[in-house]
Amino acid sequence: MDRYLADLGLIAPELVLTLLSLVVLVWDLVTKGRDSRQVAYLSLAGLGVVAYLLLGQWGDLAATGGKAETVAFGMVTIDAFGTFFKLFTVGSLAVVILFVLADRRERKHGIGEYYFLLLGAGIGVFFMVSTNNLLLLMLGLELLSLASYSLAGFHKSERRSAEASMKYVIFGGLSAGIMLYGISLLYGLTGTIDLNEMGIADGSGWPVGLAAQFAQDPVPVAVAIVLILAGFAYKVSVVPFHFWTPDVYEGAPTPVTTFLAVASKAAGFAVLLRFVGALFLVEGVDSTVAAYGERIGLLIAILAAVTMTLGNLSALRQTSMKRMLAYSSIAHAGYVLMGLAAMTPAGFSAAMFYLAAYYFMNLGAFGFLLYFEGVNKSEDIDALKGMGWKAPVVSIVMVAFLVSLTGLPPTVGFYGKLLLFYEGVDAGLGWLVLIAALNSVVSLFYYFRIAKALFLSEPAEREAEPQPFFTGFLALLGVGTILFGIYTEPLQNWSETGTDSLGIAEASE
Amino acid sequence: MTVPDEHLLILAAILFATGVAGFLLRRNAIIVLASIELMLNAANLSFVAGCRMHSTSAAVNLDGAIFTIFVILVAAAEAAVGLALVIALYRLKQTVHLDALNELEG
Repeated sequence: MDRYLADLGLIAPELVLTLLSLVVLVWDLVTKGRDSRQVAYLSLAGLGVVAYLLLGQWGDLAATGGKAETVAFGMVTIDAFGTFFKLFTVGSLAVVILFVLADRRERKHGIGEYYFLLLGAGIGVFFMVSTNNLLLLMLGLELLSLASYSLAGFHKSERRSAEASMKYVIFGGLSAGIMLYGISLLYGLTGTIDLNEMGIADGSGWPVGLAAQFAQDPVPVAVAIVLILAGFAYKVSVVPFHFWTPDVYEGAPTPVTTFLAVASKAAGFAVLLRFVGALFLVEGVDSTVAAYGERIGLLIAILAAVTMTLGNLSALRQTSMKRMLAYSSIAHAGYVLMGLAAMTPAGFSAAMFYLAAYYFMNLGAFGFLLYFEGVNKSEDIDALKGMGWKAPVVSIVMVAFLVSLTGLPPTVGFYGKLLLFYEGVDAGLGWLVLIAALNSVVSLFYYFRIAKALFLSEPAEREAEPQPFFTGFLALLGVGTILFGIYTEPLQNWSETGTDSLGIAEASE
Repeated sequence: MTVPDEHLLILAAILFATGVAGFLLRRNAIIVLASIELMLNAANLSFVAGCRMHSTSAAVNLDGAIFTIFVILVAAAEAAVGLALVIALYRLKQTVHLDALNELEG
């Protein structure tokens, strides 16, 4: 009984978030959606509690070196890696809720479900980033997906929104089907759905370890793993599973796009890192398995190269800023994959650092987009011409985000890219680093089209009504982008603690 | 007479391939959603087969069977959301043909 209560303490953030989502739903029903802002404030307060609990948990975990503790019969793994992503998820959920509040094109009443669905997606993320069990992983992923489908189509009477969510649900269903078939094959081969057991089982009786499978016949197990990776690749929009990204990002309401591009994508990467780490890099891994891990690494490296190139080249010819940011997020997925392709603990922590940087700069860039959608009633880059003089603070902050997205100093994006490049070269992926560097140059062109439109044109005729609250909020994100680019220590320490807790080791040559 | 495990796996593979083919070849949103269900059920069958392969009379490995129940749940939820969106789309466009999804440039 005591053990049980102690377990509940470990998953307190998840429990509070679940409870919060239910309270939000009931509150909205009781007040009959008269004032949805109240619901938003309630959600924000609740997220504050969750963040407080997570910070406490982070403190405990960091003190013990981020060691993993399992809860609920090994279903949930509480470790620094998961808590790292949970903290950023809570942060980005709060930002997205503030965006909904600030969205001038959004109704202020009768949209309580909006917040409920966002919190529901958050619960999905919480469970998918903190489990080594494929069942819970699948359930978390599906909870996130189902909430995202509904959110993308939130304005169901708008053609673009309805179309976006239809495309999302269809491609999402396909990837879920592929992933589940992969999981079923992997289960059939190994007899377990626990990633740790698969990675380290000795091969006598069940569970049968991966090592025995690879030694006997590598084809079926490789097929199963590639099918599962395909399911994750869809979530993080890696080529060739990126078709949906530009359309869904463009059609969905902008706060939802922000959530999909930032929290949902980072959660996908968390799962990808954990999956690959647990199967191929875990301490004491069999040498046969490690050898196949290197091949998977090469496959990921090739996908990374294709993804970043395609994302950047497509972003070049976009006229809509929303669509451009969608392609840019595909390109960034390519950069993060570099850290995974390195297949080293240091590469993983570089990927985590870059994801943290990605939270800051993309939340900021999408916030800027939302701000000017309200002002211009348009997503076109041309509509931004000369607006830099009319809304100077927001525009200057946006330049900081753009510098960071391109990967220039002194921003967090620069340091993140530096780490990724360094680890890439260290892992012998010089060619990939070269492609990434060339891609960064390409990205300079389209990112600075925005800066050029803002400041290098005649001041616009129109006036931008000041929105002090929203402006201050974006400025705060901008300060974070630059501050963490100069003082990189904390983020770097956090991502290293996170990677340590995965229990992965340098591949022994 | 019992059905050999291999037959279950082959049937699952055929179901999965049918689902993928249906997804790629048909343009009706409802048929496409049905194809996705077919793929999920292929996964279910293969889970059950795995469950039987790994169980002996002494020790039963239930992971796969339990996974199946959750997949059924997920499939139902996904169908509910998918069909609700099909209805929303039909109200806007008076068609459930996927080629009518052309507001957003590809």
